[in-house]
Amino acid sequence: MTGAHSNGNSKSVSERLLEELREGLPNGQIPAALFGNEEIFNLELRKIFARCWVFLAHDSEIPKAGDYVRRKIGQDNFIVVRDDEGQIHALFDACRHRGVQICRADSGNTEIFKCPYHGWAYDTKGNLLGAPLWKNAFGGMPKESNGLLRAAKLATYHGLIFATLDPTAPPLEEYLGGMKWYLDLVFGLNEHGIEIIGAPQRFVIDANWKSGAENFSGDDYHLGTLHQSVWAIGAFPVPFADNMMGYHIQASAGHSLSFSMAPSEDAPGPRFFAYPEEVAATFNSSRISPEQLRIAGRSRVFVGNVFPNFSILLAPMTDDGANFPATGVLTIRTWQPMGAGRIEAWNWFCAYRNMTPSQKDRVYRSGLASFSMGGVFEMDDTEPWMLASRTGRSVAAEVLDLKLNYQMGLPGVGIARRTEDWPGPGIVYSPRYEEGVQRNMFRFYSDMMRAEPGSWPRFSLD
Amino acid sequence: MTPPSEVPVSSELYARVVAWVFREAELLDGGHEREWLETMVSKDVVYQVPLRQTVERAHGTGFSDTTFHLNESYGSLMTRVRRNESGYAWAEDPPSRTRHFVTNIRLAKLDGDRLALKSNLLIYRTRRDQTLPQLLSGERQDVLRLEDGDLKLVARTILLDLTVLETHNLAIIF
Repeated sequence: MTGAHSNGNSKSVSERLLEELREGLPNGQIPAALFGNEEIFNLELRKIFARCWVFLAHDSEIPKAGDYVRRKIGQDNFIVVRDDEGQIHALFDACRHRGVQICRADSGNTEIFKCPYHGWAYDTKGNLLGAPLWKNAFGGMPKESNGLLRAAKLATYHGLIFATLDPTAPPLEEYLGGMKWYLDLVFGLNEHGIEIIGAPQRFVIDANWKSGAENFSGDDYHLGTLHQSVWAIGAFPVPFADNMMGYHIQASAGHSLSFSMAPSEDAPGPRFFAYPEEVAATFNSSRISPEQLRIAGRSRVFVGNVFPNFSILLAPMTDDGANFPATGVLTIRTWQPMGAGRIEAWNWFCAYRNMTPSQKDRVYRSGLASFSMGGVFEMDDTEPWMLASRTGRSVAAEVLDLKLNYQMGLPGVGIARRTEDWPGPGIVYSPRYEEGVQRNMFRFYSDMMRAEPGSWPRFSLD
Repeated sequence: MTPPSEVPVSSELYARVVAWVFREAELLDGGHEREWLETMVSKDVVYQVPLRQTVERAHGTGFSDTTFHLNESYGSLMTRVRRNESGYAWAEDPPSRTRHFVTNIRLAKLDGDRLALKSNLLIYRTRRDQTLPQLLSGERQDVLRLEDGDLKLVARTILLDLTVLETHNLAIIF
């Protein structure tokens, strides 16, 4: 017998699947089992989520000293808190005494985190302050070495707070690489920047986190089928074929995005993602280049994913097409890995700070009605992801060796062509009939899954 | 505004509202969403499912006044109905099997011809060949109003018992 399935093969299932991924990617072939295999999932928690920079919060969620939110890195809770000097910390929510979670609310304001078990108390920097009857119990033991553990590194970009558990991780800006240019023109369209509206919506999908990540890496092609209803009800103003115009961009290793874009600056249709004219009039090049501003002006939709699980969408939406025109809606989300077939989706809506209350209300209503668990777009997305993860767990997919097809836009497939006529970083294809954006995500995924602890793959695109 | 006065369980009005609640559940579980919207819901309805967070006891119930899972008007509810009629609403085609269980009905008169209706709600939902249901439980706070002799839903707030919703979408009506 020969081949990957021979009895004499001593490789584990995950090693075999990762080898098949590496070999198949250049031809757009990905083993279906990556979306459901438990061994792969357990490796991902360590090799991806315990190493990569992951999104935790936006700084507008914790504006004051003592403000905190409880967030996740992989499956673990971290307290993201602003101390009395304004510094932000990501503290591992586990008491140093017996490991009990000390943060008992999703958000709040406090000076002290006190463990409910024996009363060890910590300040907002994570320092151990003391415990009941300290001298009797612990006198002579140093407090300094018993503070809460923390993420190895924390950094922000446009107020987006990221952290990593890996001290050998490159700096955030190096990790984001070319993706920064694109985050700039979503989050930095004027000097005011964005703020989060309210608290995040959280819901559970029986699916694999990579389905969310790859969809937001630039799966525009599914709109015409899965989301066909949005044209029937007037929720989205750009026709399917027109919406395929634009660019697919592999911004840097792992991070991909996609623009639906008008062919020229004066073409009819939404400008600046359909933000209201009075808001778009405040967009300027104080934080971005005139070139980035021009690109934003032509843009109808931005969708992207920062590897591994932080997704961004900026698109024209309305909750009630009969009565209100579409407005630009900015939503950010994370796909928290709760199991090989289980995502906890976190969904935030954002508005530019200088928008009026009624403009923010239109953003929020339109966003909720389109891209939320009750939204007319997103409610359709989750079911195919559930079905894909069911296939990922299946014996038939393993025995019959099911490879999923990511070949759109490969040489000789379809009309998408690489373009050099683009002012930003990355590998760029146009129009958007192309799955290189997903292959870019899986290429970096493949590299990280095979990287030894402490070593990082080369951040190259080719 | 006069304080709400409780409507006795034995009264004719209470019986009328209970019949209204039963009819509504039957229409929703039977897939008659347009009929529900057009015959039982007021044109100025406010229909909200607020977000809930886990908070310490001192900070109350954790429900948000400003952020929601759903924040709907008549127009946006009609958008949902039209979507399900479009033939492309994959999330609900084939449709979920839902069962609305409405209990603990408490009724009070508000000013004018408005009624405050509180009830406990349990929605049992399955799709495809699932044997384990998605369960959504909470308190439903409604305001009803007499419009041309018919009771219409003017406001509905659903206070869910979960902070993280164990359902892949909210393509259903509470």
